Amino acid sequence: MKNSTQRDIFWDKVYAFAQKDPDIVIVSADMGAPALDRFRRDMPTQFVNVGIAEQNAIMLATGLALTGKTVFAYAIAPFITLRCLEQIRVENAIMKTAITIVGVGPGFGYDDSGPTHHMIEDIAIMRSMPHIRIDSISDGVMAAFFAEQSCSKSKTATNYVRLDRLDKAIIYPNGTDFFTGIELLRDKGDTCLVSTGSMTHTALSIADSLAKKGIHVGVMDLYNMPIKEQKFLDKIRLFSQIITIEEHFLAGGLGSAVLEVLNNSGVNIPVHRMGITMDKGYCYQYGGREAIRRYYGIDKASLLKKITGLVR
Amino acid sequence: MTHILDGLKEKAFQIRKEMLEMCIKAGTGHVTSSLSSIDILVALYYGGILRFDPGKPEWEERDRFLLSHAQVSPALYAILGDLGFFDKTENDRFAQKNGKFGVHLQSDVPGVEITAGSLGQGFGIAAGVALGARMSREQYLVFTLLGDGECYEGSVWETAMFAGHYRLNNLVAIIDRNYMCVTDFTENIVSLEPLDERWRSFGWNVAHINGHCFESLMNALRPVRSRRSTQPLVIIADTVKGKGVESISNVPLWHGMAPKGATADQCRRELERRYRDEK
Repeated sequence: MKNSTQRDIFWDKVYAFAQKDPDIVIVSADMGAPALDRFRRDMPTQFVNVGIAEQNAIMLATGLALTGKTVFAYAIAPFITLRCLEQIRVENAIMKTAITIVGVGPGFGYDDSGPTHHMIEDIAIMRSMPHIRIDSISDGVMAAFFAEQSCSKSKTATNYVRLDRLDKAIIYPNGTDFFTGIELLRDKGDTCLVSTGSMTHTALSIADSLAKKGIHVGVMDLYNMPIKEQKFLDKIRLFSQIITIEEHFLAGGLGSAVLEVLNNSGVNIPVHRMGITMDKGYCYQYGGREAIRRYYGIDKASLLKKITGLVR
Repeated sequence: MTHILDGLKEKAFQIRKEMLEMCIKAGTGHVTSSLSSIDILVALYYGGILRFDPGKPEWEERDRFLLSHAQVSPALYAILGDLGFFDKTENDRFAQKNGKFGVHLQSDVPGVEITAGSLGQGFGIAAGVALGARMSREQYLVFTLLGDGECYEGSVWETAMFAGHYRLNNLVAIIDRNYMCVTDFTENIVSLEPLDERWRSFGWNVAHINGHCFESLMNALRPVRSRRSTQPLVIIADTVKGKGVESISNVPLWHGMAPKGATADQCRRELERRYRDEK
């Protein structure tokens, strides 16, 4: 699993299930992956390339699902969510036809491709619709787990799997299950860093740096939205301060979701949200993901500085 | 044969009346669009074209009919109620409090395959169903009805290109070509012509017929199951928006509404007179 991208781990798992289940179909909007080359070669009738046509990808995936197929609709994250948003809304949220939407490269995963390819609104948008679960993947073990879940015949709702394009580091032991939607990766200290996807690696790294200075903080990987409220509250009550970290606009993102749950349940824990503020808008910054994060003040060094100020 | 065609004409008259009453009672609904599509729907449901079982709406071998331009839902609901897919009295509560369905299309109504209302989507789902049926070697056909105004949606052409390339010859699209949108005639807004050529160039077989003539409709629809072509079929059916009720036919902006008061009575009278005259 080491040195593989989440994308390849995910598709390798789907490949294994599809070999046993001819009803598994991938609808790709001209998007490849080494693991998919094998899929296309070995199971050509179960792989449909619709061309660069995401609206059609969602509509076809829905039609296929209506005939009993287990369907994946796949493209770069902003295109398989935003370009075809209304199709997702009607076909999957209103009509409730269950498919799996797979988007690669959330956040600044397509770092040097510019703002058209930066995906920093998807959590806000996808969690605003019912009957869609966000699977915000933070490592390969989790990617494999949700690939298996997505292949299940008993799946009743649509899930949006956001797979990081660059991260290869593994957080979880093989065989971990991810049914709770939340994993408390560090449980010491009064402050909990709550993050999702790629930012969970940054949160862990920050926690490690602080630990070296004798400061302990908790780290929570919040990988499913909507948040499973009770499970979240049971764990977050251990802390007296929350810092949410996200590679996403603050409006409607992970931090907003956390605030909503706390407010709904009357739990009063102060929350500091760290993410992309509206004032900086979209960016034309190059030189890699960390450089773009630095521009927005959410690279590891900037976050560490801000967080150190809050936890002292 | 003439007997069958007369029967379809009479059924179409009955459905027009029922649809009109449903919309008048509700004070809403797309009356003119429904009048435009009713003959096509009657040919499909009463002309022996579609395979279905009102007692078993989910029958696996049924043909799938996906109404893509879903504003003509009251016409479809009138037909499904008449055929016994659900208790017909439900249509008395169309788009009203305590009613189970309204102005657009709901997948939870027996006999209805999809939710629709936003144009350019039912057609794409239909192509997916056709592809899935072919993958599973199912014998049923997939029919979809689009509005001509719906063909402005880019997604229609994504699907048209796909279905042509994938040679989905189990897919039959019918376009209700009434040459009208909401505010104006299509050729004044942005020209859809040459529509036949456009579809042909996307890899479709094209038939162009009179969508209010049951002989033309049946001639175009009857051979669909024995078709040898490897291409999908589109039937462009020329129609009149408001067909059967003269005063609201071909009137820009007479869209998405039901006649009220004296106008409603006038529409009823015109519909009766038109049917008697044509008989």
